[in-house]
Amino acid sequence: MSLKRIIQTIATVIQNAYIPAIFAGGIYQGFLKRACTPILNCWGCPLALFSCPMGALQHFIGLGLIPFYTVGFFGTVGMLVGRMTCGWICPFGFFQDLLYKIRSFKAELPKPFSYFKYVVLIGVAGVIAYLTAEPWFCKLCPDGSLIAGIPLVLADRTGDLRALVGWHYYMKISILLAIIVLSVAMKRFFCRTFCPVGAIYSIFNRFSLLKLQIDDKRCIRCESCQTKCPMHVPIYRSPSNIDCIRCLDCVKVCPTNAIKHKVR
Amino acid sequence: MPSNTKYGRATLISALFVGGGQIYSRRYWAGLVFACLFYGSIGLMLVIWTGVNEAFWGLIAAWILVWLYNVYDAFKGANYHKPPCEKSCPAGISPWIYINLIAADNDEKYPHVPFFGTLEHICPAPCEDECTRRGIDSAVAIKYLKRCVSMEEPPTIERKRKEKIAIIGAGPCGLSAAYSLSNKGYDITVYEREEKPGGILTTLIPSFRLPDAMLNEEIENMLRERVELKCGIEVGKDTEFEDILREYDAVFVAIGAWKATTLGIPGEENALSGFDVLRKIKEGKTFKLGRVGVIGGGNTAIDVARSLLRQGNEVSIYYRRRIMDMPAEHEDRIEAQEEGIEIVQLTTPLEIHKDRVTMTKTECLEGRAGAVGLVKGSEYEVEIDALVITAGQWPESSFLKDHLKTDKRGRIVTKNGKTSHPKVFAGGDAVLGSATVAHAVGQGLAVADRIDAHLRKVPGFIYNILRRDFLPAIKLIPMRKAQRIEIPHRKIEERIKDFAEVELDASNEDLRNEACRCLTCPLKFRP
Repeated sequence: MSLKRIIQTIATVIQNAYIPAIFAGGIYQGFLKRACTPILNCWGCPLALFSCPMGALQHFIGLGLIPFYTVGFFGTVGMLVGRMTCGWICPFGFFQDLLYKIRSFKAELPKPFSYFKYVVLIGVAGVIAYLTAEPWFCKLCPDGSLIAGIPLVLADRTGDLRALVGWHYYMKISILLAIIVLSVAMKRFFCRTFCPVGAIYSIFNRFSLLKLQIDDKRCIRCESCQTKCPMHVPIYRSPSNIDCIRCLDCVKVCPTNAIKHKVR
Repeated sequence: MPSNTKYGRATLISALFVGGGQIYSRRYWAGLVFACLFYGSIGLMLVIWTGVNEAFWGLIAAWILVWLYNVYDAFKGANYHKPPCEKSCPAGISPWIYINLIAADNDEKYPHVPFFGTLEHICPAPCEDECTRRGIDSAVAIKYLKRCVSMEEPPTIERKRKEKIAIIGAGPCGLSAAYSLSNKGYDITVYEREEKPGGILTTLIPSFRLPDAMLNEEIENMLRERVELKCGIEVGKDTEFEDILREYDAVFVAIGAWKATTLGIPGEENALSGFDVLRKIKEGKTFKLGRVGVIGGGNTAIDVARSLLRQGNEVSIYYRRRIMDMPAEHEDRIEAQEEGIEIVQLTTPLEIHKDRVTMTKTECLEGRAGAVGLVKGSEYEVEIDALVITAGQWPESSFLKDHLKTDKRGRIVTKNGKTSHPKVFAGGDAVLGSATVAHAVGQGLAVADRIDAHLRKVPGFIYNILRRDFLPAIKLIPMRKAQRIEIPHRKIEERIKDFAEVELDASNEDLRNEACRCLTCPLKFRP
């Protein structure tokens, strides 16, 4: 197992490590929930220790307040490492990586889909959340349905939550199903097309402290980096692409060592 | 493709039980995940069911998506990103698969490809230019490794269709189209102008590059039971093109490029044409010319020079660009230089006399690639006994002018193999100008698919979706630090005396080691 996979596993466990929830039910509401994890990980999950920055952002937007804490948090992480958290500690990204490893028929996602995540960020998580005063992205988020919606409803003892199941829950399940199937067929389909957290971090890819550098004299344009890349980014052409998640697989795979990561 | 029935059964199983077909074709993880997704979500919905509502139809749509993807996956099988060698192959061969079959000592055989052995000898090998291993040390000898590929026998013809197809020209393009279409069950008639099929392969290519025995065997493989060959009939002279159009359901024009270009300089009637020289040598004539100059830098020029050298002449090649710009095969050019052929670069003839030629120097112009200008005052005279001009060929398509759209040079204008006439398709050198045999074979196979789609009235994109690639079970072999194989050649003193093959067989162990150098890019670089 590579270092990346080990860190992804450990990070997934740490972010979702509230064991008492398995026996007692309910979700964790203690001190750690006040802190954001730097990546998309639903705070409604019974096991989740930290809160989701996207949920926090929408919550404050819905209240009509400026979310200084979350914006500052996004800015800090983004300026330091860009989208690196997507590649190394995102549980849902890890899940999609594993799905793509299945030997099956694969397809390529057309380039313009990469820009759709800004529509999701501004439209769903911004404007709609402000107008309706409800976190609408969370209501559709497939990560939420996978780690919070399904286990909570299945483990429901009182029957209160089951009574709430309606058209909204059906919709969440169908979105989750579609996204899982499409991530088997395409590399990290959700990250590339919908994820608003990735959309925010992707803006900082250009300016972040950690960045990738291509040695044009050494590069032989073999495209091994693009084939290996979990986001299918042509890294040899655009080292600060909005979809680069800094997983550094390309650095390892490059046959001529033309790709270097450096801190400026 | 080899295991059609297996994939067909997998598709059927998958359509009935989601994930079953994948498990049947031994992709357990895929089968498990699809089954869990589909039946798991149905089970979940049964547990929490609260009645039909608007979003239920969205759920139905998601289930249909899962089912469709599962069926299509069972039909197509797993695929990977295409590695550079496969992307760059004009003939549509997947080199990394056969190399891996050699390296892993696999029992599976590579599916039959028309003119596979011919391409081993006469291909410029664009795959080796693109090979990823070049970035580490040097490219895998993809072309040479074709030698020890165990290939399947041509498949037996099972289906029968009533449509009849005429193919004009029995060259590499026409014959591979005939082979592909006869596999699909059509009745084929091939019209050929010469007495023997094979086009440029039998009439021109010298036998030290392409052994005759192997070529004849390959052509015989192409001519299946449902292919009728009509040799010695020239369309436009012996029969009319209109009669063919009336008689057949589709016509494939693969007439090649046979009209030699002229240089447009005074005294050109004193020179010989490269094609004529090659054809006469192949027919058995011996040229005793003395000092010979060859104009041009393509494969024809090198072939003419090496053939004439083998008949005891003294040969030099004059090329108007630099040696590194020559379009001829790299290996052949080096072999020619080893044999003692002088290549004079940046030189072009101005005037041709009976016993001498006025040459002038040229210079490379900056800006445009390949453009040259004449250097004033640098004229000099070369005393030679004969001059052979090989300056490219263009198609001779004047008899088609009333029916098809052609461009200035005589090339037929096509789009995906279709010409301006709905029943007529074209491919090969008649479309491309003078290209390689690999291009011709690739176009023959591709246009055969287009003709099939046209006759079955299937839209092209659906035909593409339903086409399947060949992918055997492949083992990963650890990367080896080894140098590229040194291809054994005959001794120079021996080989310039006769027309026997220049490249020799290497030992099986060497070839296996060479195959192990392949990085199997699409597998290794999978995320």
